[in-house]
Amino acid sequence: MAGLDLKNLSKAYGQVEVLHDINLAIADGEFVVFVGPSGCGKSTLLRMIAGLEKITGGDLLIGGNRANDLSPRQRNIAMVFQSYALYPQMTVAQNMGFSLSLERRPKAEIAQKVQEAADSLKLGPYLDRKPGQLSGGQRQRVAIGRAIVRSPQVFLLDEPLSNLDAALRSETRVEISELHQRMETTMIYVTHDQVEAMTMADRIVVLNGGYIEQVGSPMELYNHPATEFVAGFIGSPKMNFVKGRFADRVGATTLGVRPEHFVVGKADDSWEGIVTLVERLGHDTILYVKVPDAGVLTVSLNGQHDQNVGDTIYLRPVQDFIHKFNDAGRPIAA
Amino acid sequence: MYGRWILLFALGVIAVLMASPLILTVFTSLKPSTELVNPAWYPPLSVTFEHYVRVWTDGGFSRYFFNTLLISVIDAAVMIVIASLAAYAMVFIEFRGKLALQILFLIGLMIPVTAIVLPLFQIVRSFGLLNTHFGVILADLALAVSVFVFMFTSYFVGVPKALHEAARIDGATEFQIYRRVIMPIAMPAVVTTALLEFLWSWNDLLLRLLLLTQDEMRTLSVGLLNFQGTMTRDVTGLSSGTVIMAIPVVILFLFFQRHFVRGMTAGAVK
Repeated sequence: MAGLDLKNLSKAYGQVEVLHDINLAIADGEFVVFVGPSGCGKSTLLRMIAGLEKITGGDLLIGGNRANDLSPRQRNIAMVFQSYALYPQMTVAQNMGFSLSLERRPKAEIAQKVQEAADSLKLGPYLDRKPGQLSGGQRQRVAIGRAIVRSPQVFLLDEPLSNLDAALRSETRVEISELHQRMETTMIYVTHDQVEAMTMADRIVVLNGGYIEQVGSPMELYNHPATEFVAGFIGSPKMNFVKGRFADRVGATTLGVRPEHFVVGKADDSWEGIVTLVERLGHDTILYVKVPDAGVLTVSLNGQHDQNVGDTIYLRPVQDFIHKFNDAGRPIAA
Repeated sequence: MYGRWILLFALGVIAVLMASPLILTVFTSLKPSTELVNPAWYPPLSVTFEHYVRVWTDGGFSRYFFNTLLISVIDAAVMIVIASLAAYAMVFIEFRGKLALQILFLIGLMIPVTAIVLPLFQIVRSFGLLNTHFGVILADLALAVSVFVFMFTSYFVGVPKALHEAARIDGATEFQIYRRVIMPIAMPAVVTTALLEFLWSWNDLLLRLLLLTQDEMRTLSVGLLNFQGTMTRDVTGLSSGTVIMAIPVVILFLFFQRHFVRGMTAGAVK
């Protein structure tokens, strides 16, 4: 096990710099999630840590040792790929034991480690099957098993759940979290799904346009976003941003209100709007409300409500939870 | 309704036309000399293998067969190794001069053998490799390597890059990735290369005629010329020699046809 230090890390393809001055310290045993929109550089950063992309600036330290010029093999890391990347000609057991066989470990030891990993991932009955004979979820577990068997210093996971259906995704999400608690190994997980980030991470790193926007625990990011981008990216449904007279009233350029931080109020102290769409989820009711001078706002009401399309509704943001941003998209202190 | 019958008839005629030289050759090779006065398309009234025995023993085909087999097998085996290694480097490894090398291979594809046959003869002679199987093998490999590098390249580009990366993360060296991860899944390309190179080598006449002048070094294609003089032609010898020469290729093709077709179409459709 080891921590990582990313010091002024940058990546350029020719003249085009895609990652700029990344500084990040990841503690030993921590579960860190890189999150951001497509093209923000999160996968590139992970691949640089893995040794699959050359580092063009700055230093990468694994366990305190500079790893910039080390091969993936020398870094002692394991990686789970989005596409699983299982060797199709090998059985599940051979896939999982491949790295150990390359190290010329005794066959008995390989078999024992593969069996242990297979048991922990419920893959025991499939050890003699080829990847083509497995379901998507089973393949993903084999990919994780292949990483576990090596007992690496650091686990890297590149959008490992994106090829799974919704039910399997939430199931595997729990399994990965449990795995981390059991193994206590440093894990870096890349996703564009902020729900995955919020539910799994000790700390989230939000990337945008090759820069780190904010690093913090899920609740820090949710409650105290450092930028308008983070405020919009973290939280589902996403935060409403209102400019104009409503923002002016509180002395901000942009006023941010999360959908769950609206209450249905009375006519005198509230924003009047018309319901344009209703999504009834059972535990929550999502309303899309057109408010003059504010646009269409998303409102999440706890429980079941009887509003319908075309109804007039009065909304009041809960003052303790509003977010005020200046021209630069930075928060204004309360 | 009639369209289908017309199509079947047309295809049948084409099939007969294409198969007829082979059928006539087999008929001739099995006929006793007394039946040669009959038209060629007459099947043999009494079957005899005497021409095969004559060609195999007196005609020297046993030696030619061994020579041809030796050259073709080595050609095919070495070509698989060389072409796949080169293609692997082209696809999976970044290095300086890669583009120049690709262009060089491309040029290799464009130059016809007949255009460089004299300089090739000079080079082989200057290395002292005339009348050696090694010289022929080297020339074969050099002339065909571009084709097979492209064939393997087109196959390898279809292999997910993540497999190569996963193997690197697992700690494999480039050669281990080549041998244990990539090559086992490239079997269609391997079989296609083996068959095509074997076939080209087996059937080639020009290089063998040029580079192997001593009788004991000759191959089947050159040996067939012994049955054809300026004014005379040993039709039964020629026919049975042709059949002997064709049998291994036909057997190989029948066995590996499925892999061969898959290899030829690899990369055509994603």
